[in-house]
Amino acid sequence: MNESIKTPSVTDEAHTPQMKTKCEHHAECMKVIQAILDDQATEAEKDHFRENIDKCIPCIESYNLEKCIKASLVEKVQKKPCPKNILNTIISKINS
Amino acid sequence: MIVAMSETLAKNENTDDLRYDIFNREFMPHIDSMYNFAFRLTMDEDDANDLVQDTYLKAFRFIKSFEQGTNAKAWLFRILKNSFINDYRKKSKEPSKVDYQEVETTYNSEEASDTTYTVDLRADAVQELIGDEVANALNALPVDFRTVIILCDIEGFTYEEMAKILDIPIGTVRSRLHRARNLLKEKLRSYANTMGYDS
Repeated sequence: MNESIKTPSVTDEAHTPQMKTKCEHHAECMKVIQAILDDQATEAEKDHFRENIDKCIPCIESYNLEKCIKASLVEKVQKKPCPKNILNTIISKINS
Repeated sequence: MIVAMSETLAKNENTDDLRYDIFNREFMPHIDSMYNFAFRLTMDEDDANDLVQDTYLKAFRFIKSFEQGTNAKAWLFRILKNSFINDYRKKSKEPSKVDYQEVETTYNSEEASDTTYTVDLRADAVQELIGDEVANALNALPVDFRTVIILCDIEGFTYEEMAKILDIPIGTVRSRLHRARNLLKEKLRSYANTMGYDS
């Protein structure tokens, strides 16, 4: 995650009339938001994100949701260690 | 002649040492990730065991085609994914709930256009979900969509690495990931609703 990009939030100030409550190009914004969270965004996408993310409520909410789902997948989905017998079988087969 | 034979023997021994060295140093550290990937693809412990074993034995057999200094984890994941498609997918015990082509067609169609597609789900409803619910939502996705989420979000591969692992262009990686995440959100929303969380 690019540390220079701060997590946006919907604050009281954010609900002022200047904030967009509908995003007319949300599908494109979603691709940018996902690329940002995946740390795969191009410079142009990063610029677009920085310039627009604090002006659009649907995009801020989507950013927070996508970030939360990504974190849940990493932190909550259980990872099992590979069973020892598989490890031993592999080693014995390549040594034979 | 004897010298030549000795040199050949020494060379073979060095080659063998190198193969074992690469195998232990570059391949073995990824075995837990490989096992989890295999399990999430096959949804079956026995098949996951066989798939990991087959992948590592293939990796050892074809170790000469691995270029040192390149990403060993991505190389191994590609072998595992190909083995899964060729040897396991047909006999997978997972019921074919949704055909992948059908899903992709649906999500490419006008009526399910990306421009209007949003899922009504809040971040704090996701935070309430426990690990099993998140894992079940992931497991309920068709395998190709499940795969891109595992590779990107759980294993942290770049889009470029995913393109190589899956043999698809980067643009397809991005659009498949986008659709996979929309489907995952739908599954998470239904879990959140079932559990009585306000989605």
